[in-house]
Amino acid sequence: MRQAPNWNLMDNLFEFDRAESSGQIIFRKIFESFIVLGTMYLAWTWGQYTLRISDIVLPLGLARYVDISFMHGNTLPLWNAGLISVLVLLGWARLGRWPYAIAFVLLIIQYAARFTLGEIPHSSNLVGMGLLGFACGQLFYPDETSRSRFGLGFTYFFLGLAYTSAAISKLVASGITWPDGRHLWMWINEKAVDEIARSGFVELNFVQELALSSLLIATLFLAFGLIAELFSWLVWFRRTRMWVMLAILGLHVGIWLTMDILFILSVYELIILAFPWDEWIDKMLERRRRA
Amino acid sequence: MNGKALAKKARTIGTVVLVVYAVTVATNLGEFWPFSIYPMFSQGGNNWSRSLVREFPEDDSTSWEVVGLADVPGAPFSVKKMGVDPIDLANFVSKTTIWDSVRVAALRNMFFGSETPLYQIVIYRVRGELTEDHEVLVEATPYVLLSPKGDQVNPEVQQ
Repeated sequence: MRQAPNWNLMDNLFEFDRAESSGQIIFRKIFESFIVLGTMYLAWTWGQYTLRISDIVLPLGLARYVDISFMHGNTLPLWNAGLISVLVLLGWARLGRWPYAIAFVLLIIQYAARFTLGEIPHSSNLVGMGLLGFACGQLFYPDETSRSRFGLGFTYFFLGLAYTSAAISKLVASGITWPDGRHLWMWINEKAVDEIARSGFVELNFVQELALSSLLIATLFLAFGLIAELFSWLVWFRRTRMWVMLAILGLHVGIWLTMDILFILSVYELIILAFPWDEWIDKMLERRRRA
Repeated sequence: MNGKALAKKARTIGTVVLVVYAVTVATNLGEFWPFSIYPMFSQGGNNWSRSLVREFPEDDSTSWEVVGLADVPGAPFSVKKMGVDPIDLANFVSKTTIWDSVRVAALRNMFFGSETPLYQIVIYRVRGELTEDHEVLVEATPYVLLSPKGDQVNPEVQQ
């Protein structure tokens, strides 16, 4: 008899009752390694860029409460990046329960120092929430399995929440007419100016030309994006996870083609989280055992 | 610890994080890393403001005229080759309300560090709007000139 699908949210996110397998252990460690590498990449990228900032245009986030100018005009951002790197490596190697949590706080400072020029990007949210998930797992759970299961489940939850809240933001700010293709025309022109600034020139690609030539096609692009975001909370459930993640990946490819914005870390993370790699690894190991 | 106890703990931690999330984004206009919501492109059809840079021969006289995107004078200039993020530049220009010497020096520092400018460049603010005929109108206003001989700000912007 076929087993009825389990729609319990906590079971789907964290799978604390599921029998542990080699595939799960390998998969979670791969994901955690990605978060560690992503954190180091962000810390160094932000640190290097902060060296060229000498005035705060608009303090955001933490910088609204703390005068972040102590990070400007010196090499502190690089020292902070180095410290964050050491801490996440210690956390990865399980040398202490606090390294991830401290690295998380230092990364918030690094971020606040970097993004004081008026706007913040959202491309680093998923890595940041992943780091927080593993930090909480290390601090509050008693054994290795539950710690890393919490980190992974926490990431699934906040990933689904982030994208769904993005759709809700759009509906609140613009209403049901948000997918009007003319809005995409505006954004394509806006990003074209960014490209002129970046490289000196711009050449629209085939997809951009297509969207600009047809209001219907432009509207369909936006409608797909909105629907994909609106149903992103379905990544919380194992049964729907892969298909919804693929739709979100499609959304990112669409954003890349139409607006030339690529959240590369988010795309990598979605690829890691979209597929049932744990099951595939177990099947592969089983096949090797039998051979 | 059994699965139920572990799940209960996860629910508690998740709830606490959600509360912190709600408080930080509510008091920071949605922006508090990494708890930020994703408000990108939430306001469809709104006017926008970006920036671009053009290079001019030294001693070229500066025109502060507003022009269409296709008519921006000067030679193409890549901010990437100076290590500058175009989105930072766009925000720097659009969110600066008072162009005093400190702010102009910060802009120069962004491009050239503490060195004397190597080129004569003009930073434009580019605005886009959707017209009543449903067409996108894009216009560029010169804001700041940085050159080896000194800096100038568009007199209308400085007022």
